[in-house]
Amino acid sequence: MNGKKPTYAELEARLAEAEEALRAIRSGEVDLVLGEDHPLVLRAKGVQEELEKSREQLEMALSGSNAGLWDLRFDPNAPHQIPDEIYLSPRLKGFIGFRDDEFPNSVSAWQGRILPEDLEVLRRSAQEHLEGRREIHEAEYRIRHRDGSIRWIHTRGKIHRDDHGVPIRWSGIDWDITERKRMEQEMASLQEQLRQAQKMEAIGRLAGGIAHDFNNALTVIRGNCQLSLLDLHEADPLYGNLKEIEQSVERAARLTQQLLAFSRKQIMQMKVVDPNALIEDLEKILRRILGEDIELTTFLEEGVGKVRVDPGQMEQAVINLAVNARDAMPRGGKLTIETANVELDEAYARDHVAVTPGPYVMLSVSDTGVGMSPEVRERAFEPFFTTKEAGKGTGLGLSMVYGIVKQSGGNIWVYSEMGKGTTFKIYLPRVEGPVEERREETLEDIPQGSETILVVEDEEVVRKLAVRLLRKQGYKVLEASDGGKAFMLCEQYDERIDLILSDVVLPGMDGRRVVERLQKIHPEAKALYMSGYTDNVIAHHGMLEQGIHFIQKPFTVGSLARKVREVIDGKDK
Amino acid sequence: MDQTVEKKAMDRTRRSESKVPGHYHLRLFVAGDEPNSRKAREVLKYLGERHLQGNYTLEVVDVLENYKAALEAQILFAPTLMIIDPPTKTRIIGSLSDVRRILEVLGLPEAEENP
Repeated sequence: MNGKKPTYAELEARLAEAEEALRAIRSGEVDLVLGEDHPLVLRAKGVQEELEKSREQLEMALSGSNAGLWDLRFDPNAPHQIPDEIYLSPRLKGFIGFRDDEFPNSVSAWQGRILPEDLEVLRRSAQEHLEGRREIHEAEYRIRHRDGSIRWIHTRGKIHRDDHGVPIRWSGIDWDITERKRMEQEMASLQEQLRQAQKMEAIGRLAGGIAHDFNNALTVIRGNCQLSLLDLHEADPLYGNLKEIEQSVERAARLTQQLLAFSRKQIMQMKVVDPNALIEDLEKILRRILGEDIELTTFLEEGVGKVRVDPGQMEQAVINLAVNARDAMPRGGKLTIETANVELDEAYARDHVAVTPGPYVMLSVSDTGVGMSPEVRERAFEPFFTTKEAGKGTGLGLSMVYGIVKQSGGNIWVYSEMGKGTTFKIYLPRVEGPVEERREETLEDIPQGSETILVVEDEEVVRKLAVRLLRKQGYKVLEASDGGKAFMLCEQYDERIDLILSDVVLPGMDGRRVVERLQKIHPEAKALYMSGYTDNVIAHHGMLEQGIHFIQKPFTVGSLARKVREVIDGKDK
Repeated sequence: MDQTVEKKAMDRTRRSESKVPGHYHLRLFVAGDEPNSRKAREVLKYLGERHLQGNYTLEVVDVLENYKAALEAQILFAPTLMIIDPPTKTRIIGSLSDVRRILEVLGLPEAEENP
């Protein structure tokens, strides 16, 4: 007050004044503290009470909407900085699993639980709004719940400013949108699956079409090659050339075979199979493929259901997966094959395109290899897509697996994590019925015969080849290039016809119906169909029907002769 | 509500003897229309009509507009009530929610507070 030293009484009075002043400040009865140069606005208790009251009212209004409330007041001395103190409503804290008194009213505490990449977005929106470059502060972010799970929050708020545009108060509301996000993601995942399925379908159709034409060409090359070889002495200089052609054709035929497998246009010999037995039979081969550095473990559920597959194809699928796994583990690792009965319910079917609910057998092949990136995973089943270095893989291995599984009425999913490994899960519909014996292929001498065979095939080269092959084996052969000619031929031919060998697809006609008409004239004739790929006629009737015989193009002298013999003799079912 | 009273140099005896109050001169320092300042103004208006029977002069100084006056009067807080006449160094800080305390400083009988 004045320059001289205060008396005891004055000191006491001044201390009392200071004490009372502090009490007044603490109880919020002071609006302003005046300094020599600058006034300081206190958060008066009256304001605080009003604030709390307004928050309570807002909370009540929001109680039916599941929204959480937040509210902060700017420091008048630093109105362009976001203060740490903030009001977080009990419901808002409840979003992340805390009771009101368990979580501090602190901006940094709240932000500390937000995922860093989302915090960036949130802060950008806040900053832009604070600077007046954005009308409304609005963002979606992920935050860690108390239980460790991740919740999605949608926040929206606005700064209230004074007449000069200086920020005073900032309040907003948040919603927990976790459920909505989950549904959105599910929807996106379903759409992605659908897109993927459509892409595979399109590629499959293309590949199937190419393979079909290619197969016809190969059939002719191989047939003529083999016929020529039969006529030549091994010492003939041309013999070696033709042998090489034959080997190349074999390789090309295997490639088209794989393409056909992918495009699901392959003729499959479906049998009821015990998947455990199939894996057990394969173990020896798998161990050899995997080598010493990879440990093979199998968990085969006892009494696992049976499936209806082409056993040879399914073995091929498992082998392909094993080869793929091996290549993913160049420094060794573990390969686990598992079988189990599973029930795919309605909920699962909703989340997965092309899944019908019901009982399935799950066959999984897991490795501890390098894993796939999401980009690679997405294209894993695409034909000719490979991550292996040039010359090491055809890019058809997994495509084949995909086709085989799909054609068997199953589904295949791939789960992979970079650096951790990959799991392929195959789901095959469970079937009832006794396991069917697999016929062992034996190398026999090329069988011959003297019966009469009618060959109906529109492609001249293929027809001529078949005719030549069969004649060479001693058969009497009639030929027709389409259904009409075959019909006339049958009507004029009085003698017995033992076998009709017909293409499945004839110009403008269904091979099966042609054969059925021919069999009305010659009921004694048995039928054998040949095809490069399964056409709608077969695909829509569900693979191989009982009593219908097929031979797949390109055929060899041996396979055709053997098949013809089997059908005529009635050995094949 | 608490209120702060500066007790310095208070002459309680003389005040309490005066049965008929003379003219009162009050000076209230406020901070614009902030809640406590508004409340203090309302309390003084009520008190002036009811207890001083309008026999008073009230100066309201807004420190946001007249910062200098506040500094000169060595006012550190708003709101603060200065009683010019009858002269006393007692200054009441806060929103004046405790009317009895003000009456005490003004030397008015407490009984009059309760209607």
